Amino acid sequence: MSTAVKADPAKPAGSAGPLSQRRPLGDRGFALLALLAGLLVLAILVGIVVTTAQQGSDWFSTAGFKGIFSTVWNTTDQFGMMAFVYGTVLTSVIAIIISIPVSLSVALLLTEVVPRRWAQPIVVIIDLLAVVPSVVWGLWGIIVLEPWIEPIYASIASGVHGIPVLDNLFGESNGSVSGASFFTAGLILAIMITPIITSLSREVIATVPAIDKEGAYALGATRWEMIRGAVWPHSQAGVVSAILVGLGRAMGETIAAALVIGSSVQVTSHLFVPGYSIPAVIANQFGESSGEFRSALIGLGLVLFVITIIVNLFARAVVERSGRRSRGA
Amino acid sequence: MAVVSNQPTIDLREPGGWRRSKNQIATGLMWFAFAVILVPLGLVIYEVIAKGAKAISWQFLTGSTIPPNVMPLGQGGMGAAVVGTLEITAIAAVLAVPLGILGAVYIHEYGGRNWFAKLISFMADVMVGVPSIVMGLFIFTVWVIPRGLSGLSGLAGSLALTCLMLPLIIRATFEMLRLVPNHLREASYALGATKSRVTLTVVLPSAVSGIVSGSLLAIARAAGETAPLLFTIGAVESTNSNPFSGPTTSLPSQIFSNALSPYTGAQDRAWGAALTLIAIAFILLFVARIVTARFTRYAR
Amino acid sequence: MQFRGKQVVAASGAVAAAIALAACSSSSSSSSSAPSSAAASTPAAASTSASASTASGTISGAGSTFQTNFQQGVISAFKSVDSGITVNYNPVGSGTGRSDLYANTVLYAGSDSAIPAKEAGKVPAGKTVLYFPVQIGPIAIAYNVSGVSDLKLDATVLAGIFSGKITTWNDPAIKALNTGASLPSSSINLEVRSDSSGTTANFSQYLVDAAGSSWTLGTSSIISFPKSAHANSGGSAVAAAVKATSDSIGYVDFSTATATSLTSASIKNSAGDYVAPSSASAAAASTHVTPKADLTFLTVDEPGATSYPITYQSWDLVYAKQPNANDAALLQAYLGYLLGAGQSLLTPLNLAPLPASIDAAAKAQLSKITS
Repeated sequence: MSTAVKADPAKPAGSAGPLSQRRPLGDRGFALLALLAGLLVLAILVGIVVTTAQQGSDWFSTAGFKGIFSTVWNTTDQFGMMAFVYGTVLTSVIAIIISIPVSLSVALLLTEVVPRRWAQPIVVIIDLLAVVPSVVWGLWGIIVLEPWIEPIYASIASGVHGIPVLDNLFGESNGSVSGASFFTAGLILAIMITPIITSLSREVIATVPAIDKEGAYALGATRWEMIRGAVWPHSQAGVVSAILVGLGRAMGETIAAALVIGSSVQVTSHLFVPGYSIPAVIANQFGESSGEFRSALIGLGLVLFVITIIVNLFARAVVERSGRRSRGA
Repeated sequence: MAVVSNQPTIDLREPGGWRRSKNQIATGLMWFAFAVILVPLGLVIYEVIAKGAKAISWQFLTGSTIPPNVMPLGQGGMGAAVVGTLEITAIAAVLAVPLGILGAVYIHEYGGRNWFAKLISFMADVMVGVPSIVMGLFIFTVWVIPRGLSGLSGLAGSLALTCLMLPLIIRATFEMLRLVPNHLREASYALGATKSRVTLTVVLPSAVSGIVSGSLLAIARAAGETAPLLFTIGAVESTNSNPFSGPTTSLPSQIFSNALSPYTGAQDRAWGAALTLIAIAFILLFVARIVTARFTRYAR
Repeated sequence: MQFRGKQVVAASGAVAAAIALAACSSSSSSSSSAPSSAAASTPAAASTSASASTASGTISGAGSTFQTNFQQGVISAFKSVDSGITVNYNPVGSGTGRSDLYANTVLYAGSDSAIPAKEAGKVPAGKTVLYFPVQIGPIAIAYNVSGVSDLKLDATVLAGIFSGKITTWNDPAIKALNTGASLPSSSINLEVRSDSSGTTANFSQYLVDAAGSSWTLGTSSIISFPKSAHANSGGSAVAAAVKATSDSIGYVDFSTATATSLTSASIKNSAGDYVAPSSASAAAASTHVTPKADLTFLTVDEPGATSYPITYQSWDLVYAKQPNANDAALLQAYLGYLLGAGQSLLTPLNLAPLPASIDAAAKAQLSKITS
């Protein structure tokens, strides 16, 4: 590890500054490479935003901000986005609500409950779940899940008939429930994002210092109490970030959502009826679109960008606040 | 005076009543959650195998002509799609993995607090939520159209998949880098190593298992994507083994276009392709597990 | 878990390499895997009418999903006629097909309609688009009502059903046309398309032409059907939904309806006769068509006693001026085959070949593809 640089205790090797000329070429080269990679990544990301904005501007100049909040979408001259924004948010929220308890439970199972040698099969199962392609989930959803789940929706709907809030959520709308619906889409999305959240959470939870865990046990805590007291504060930020990745995936999922969401432009609180989401409408209607219609579809992609940015900003704020408390260990 | 007499004896070795039940319920729920994820996995694998097994044969996997939808099973095969998927995914991986790792290295190791690194990190988070079809449209606009007739190609599809994989790999690598303890870096600096050396020989290797598994999840996801390829690779009826020129097809594209077809031959081929795709993804995973097991330096 | 290191890595590497090698090696060998029986269904006339051209290369087309079966069949048969030319067709939808043509990423676009007015500006300046009619086919009104096997409908009733005004099977309007049938009192389950499609465009065009004021939802590749309608992505999904749901009705192209074993209604044509969809009745409708000079036309609601009223058509769009002579020759060879011997592939697919006069005019137009 000796280099040509004279060892100067006041200026540690690898530091930037006026002595950077003395850094070996390879080191500067690598730093430059990393910088270029960062630049390229940014260029791609910005490029996507810019071209999408450009192609969506046609629609935006005609419809303006009003267009985002309008729910009328008639594919000829009126392109209101609200129904799709609503559907995207709703299905993603359903997916997260279903997935969080399951993913976190399995992550905790793997790190805290199961002895190391038996963790491997469970990990394999999670990975298997992760590699099933989205198109296969979509097909399974439309061919197997939908027909099977519709009678279940129907019995839930008749069960809650008349009960104030529950009827609005799980009851019938227009006299029927449908296998292809917001809830089915949310369910399939939940299945798809669970492995991601589980893997990322697991990596995070596994780095909680053993000292804290053993300390909790030493104080007589049960395993559950140890998890709540020692694991959770340390892994909060990472877990929230893992959930965020899952949420992002749920919002951007195209094929599976397009197949099972039911393709109906409506804003309603009923979960068991068909709806639409941004990626689903782009996938379904892009084929025959042109002119302002096409521009509106691309504009929808941009709107999804903005939503993801807002969600990310919010989550970062949450992570920052909790991170400040637990970092420094 | 001792105050012992009527105190109940507390056994300090075991938590009492309610605390213990809470613990058992919690553990029970965790196992239940695991059972819950087994259900859809089992169902899907069962369906794919049940419906796809009869299509699989050596000819199916390698046959270079894709028969028309109306043709029943037995003619031609999905070789074109297998070659397409393998090539497109391989090129996308070669592009995205180094780029993603380097990008994350920049953000975490070199960027520090500067605004540029924070912007990239933020954009990478946002990009995870972009619909995959938008990635395809982006590449269609900036790469395919300027090239006119030679625009549709496996390479264009790879570029679209790279856009898809980049934010995932950056994220996974970044999280791994974050978890490498600082004292490792400091110890290396103290021994006189340069920053690049520290990164390449100490930091990355200790994070490699997480990076590899994150990259492989990204690759497996890319292999199964349909939407980014819709506008970038075109379609073919026979194998095009050159990914840099001419349209091609892929297993997910074939699955999507065939499986909803009313013709049983097409449906059977679709399920066969689904089985093949899942098998490829599983092999990728298996290889990853082996690599991880060999190279994990810091066992947890 | 202890892995026996090198051996396992080597083994899995070998497995992966073997698969890749096998796939690559079979692709580089000529496509000798099983002579497709599609070639067998091509009559012997195939080899005599098309002369193997001296041009070779690859041409790519994209567009209408209505043309998928036909294009696949022709491509497959054409290989045995001229193995030097590789043709690819990507069924992405008529709109995307046309966009691909404007962007010059494909040589021909399959489209179920002529270039709409709002797209006229997208055609690059100085370029003329040639329309080559390709196929004719019926749109079936498929239904699934137990006990009813010979449903008769007309444009007005169809308009009422698909706009949600007629909601039960025993509605007086339906009963009036089907006096002998026992129609149930259940509500009609409407199956429609959610994605944009030429089938929807032409079906709605028929309703506009034939139902007049009873149809208020206009014509477009996506129609805002009533909320009670069940939307499906793709024609096959509509067919599958009709098959699986009792008391349902939906519109789907006839080949798909037949492949899914659905019953189709007989529709009243402009001559007053109730005609069932078939290759023959669509062909009959097309004989009454007089195309414009550029070979665009509509086959909906044609006169004639045996004509099926909901018939539609599709074209391949090509630029008259090609960038190089080889591309022009490839197009002429492929389209020539498609318009010639290829037409015999249509009837087995439950589609109709072009009427002789239109076919001749299209063939004559081939010489306009120049470089």
